[in-house]
Amino acid sequence: MTAAPAEIREDVRTLAVDDVTLRFGGITALSEVSFAVRPGTVHALIGPNGAGKSSCFNVISGLYRPTSGRVRLGDTDLTGTSPHRLAALGVGRSFQNIALSPHSTVRDNVLLGRHALTRGGFFSGGLRLPRTVRTERRHVARVEEICAFLGVDDRLDVPVGALPYGVAKRVDIARALAVEPTLLLLDEPAAGLNATETAEMGVTIRDLRDALGISVLLVEHDMGLVMGIADRVSVLDFGRLIADGSPAEVQADPEVIRAYLGTGGEEPE
Amino acid sequence: MSEVTVTPPETEAPPTPAPRRPRNWLKIAGVTLFLVLLVLFPVFTGTDVAYLKAGQYVLIGVVGAVGLTMLVGQAGQLSLATPFFLLVGAVSYAVLAGDSGDSGDLVGLGLPPVVAAVGAVVICGLVGLAFAPVSGRLRGIYLGVASLSLVFLGLYLGQSLDMLSGGTSTGRPPPTFAIFDFRFANTEPAPTILGVAVQKQQRLWYLFLVLAIGAYLLARGAVRSRIGRAWRAVRDNEAAATAMGVHVTRVKAGAFTISSAYAGLAGVMTALWLDLVKPDENEFVGTYSITVAIGYLAMVIIGGLGSIPGAVAGAVLVNGLPQLLTLGATEFGWFADARFGGPSPVLISAFVYGVAVVLVVMFEPGGLAAIGRRLAHVRAARPTRGGDRG
Repeated sequence: MTAAPAEIREDVRTLAVDDVTLRFGGITALSEVSFAVRPGTVHALIGPNGAGKSSCFNVISGLYRPTSGRVRLGDTDLTGTSPHRLAALGVGRSFQNIALSPHSTVRDNVLLGRHALTRGGFFSGGLRLPRTVRTERRHVARVEEICAFLGVDDRLDVPVGALPYGVAKRVDIARALAVEPTLLLLDEPAAGLNATETAEMGVTIRDLRDALGISVLLVEHDMGLVMGIADRVSVLDFGRLIADGSPAEVQADPEVIRAYLGTGGEEPE
Repeated sequence: MSEVTVTPPETEAPPTPAPRRPRNWLKIAGVTLFLVLLVLFPVFTGTDVAYLKAGQYVLIGVVGAVGLTMLVGQAGQLSLATPFFLLVGAVSYAVLAGDSGDSGDLVGLGLPPVVAAVGAVVICGLVGLAFAPVSGRLRGIYLGVASLSLVFLGLYLGQSLDMLSGGTSTGRPPPTFAIFDFRFANTEPAPTILGVAVQKQQRLWYLFLVLAIGAYLLARGAVRSRIGRAWRAVRDNEAAATAMGVHVTRVKAGAFTISSAYAGLAGVMTALWLDLVKPDENEFVGTYSITVAIGYLAMVIIGGLGSIPGAVAGAVLVNGLPQLLTLGATEFGWFADARFGGPSPVLISAFVYGVAVVLVVMFEPGGLAAIGRRLAHVRAARPTRGGDRG
């Protein structure tokens, strides 16, 4: 377990999930969940199937509006913010099932991440004004840098649809990084990856946190990955937060063990 | 990497865009030759304006198809409403530039033609924007059917609002187009190019050529830029587009607006081409009919959805073929038995592009654009870089 990076950027703020409850009709998906992602940490959100991880993730990324409670990034209340504004607030996110444009090239896909950092509509793009072209060139250069960081810069001109799954997954993360986030949300970054790729993904996540000094919140099933890279782990079960601490603490927590392995009492006779 | 996290890198060094291909000069030469041929086209056709009119009709198709392929292929919104916007554009131009007619029963604002043409395009864009609540909520075939209802709406409005449209019996003549004092009409004396007088049809050809090239370049630039990426993102995954900061409803509405404005420009051109604005009498046959809607859709499918050059190729096939066959009919006496139920040029070309659509869908979903790309790649093999991953 490496320590958090020496210098923490000032613009990286705490993400506070504060007493969030989410109900769909009579079903309570999240019940008074509170935790905080501290600046510069790799924070994992885990739990058995149906525990509410994805619901929590979607509340944070603005797709669901909580029934009560707030989500704050520093002083900014994310609860009432429309989801498309999050990128401009420094929240980047990757998707569990790769959500890239299959026919567009890697470069083009990652460039989409610059959307909130750039301006211009139909005419400024259509006329290829010198200023637009110059700005675009700068962003392309940055995108290629990000792709190099994730080791996909040798495929910049390849359509994403022609890439192996593991590589496409890295492109998805490159796109999330192209937002220049201070908080990176990763939805099951290791889903569908083999053991080698999962290990590489773990190294990449640590590396990018160390290099950029940003916070990372990941939802993940792969326990090996989570325990290997997370600074802090929050565990959900049936919509409730049952543990929140360092990987070692969480692993030793009896309630977590019960949630994952079940108890004797639940076994059929 | 941490030193370049927030601010984009200082390096103004060559940011290596797409690798330049050695055939670039060849491409430039080809494009130049193509443009020279287009400019000299009126010289080849001489005094026989029939071919020129056929060419003008193709250029109208180019403008409409380029607008439609941005909407359908890039932004992923199926629209069959092109004829409706053609009609709105044509009628708007006639109303804005026209006078109140001999009997005074027409609405005409008498604006300068250039202002009227721009106004007609803007009106079409706004009408398209007004359709955004529908186009933003529906997808795929549902949006296609909903947009088709606009064609019926246009049919009805065109027939009932005859103080605007001129009515189905006579229509109304669109005012002659003019840029300041230069009128797109026959004049004496007329300027000449290589001995050929540049009269009304030659002038319209050049006007349409400039409009089509402008529409093409604007679309190409847009597709390559930020807005084009937003369109594709919305088309492929709305959740991901949103997470990257794209305002999905706004982008969808914008795409429909721009596509409608393109169709509106094609409508203005149609009015000038026919020298008549006249609503259709039925929904299946006519200038603004379902057949035309299908024709435009065929253009963008044959060309390859989303490809701007492909849309041009599709327009040449779908709008050019019936014109060419009709010319052949008058010149060489083809289809002499058409009026007795035999094949007519329109029927034959409908079959040809129908077959083309089926072939494209079955064998090359990328359309003519993909075939063109493949041919280009045979010439210049793609740069092969050693891949170390997966």
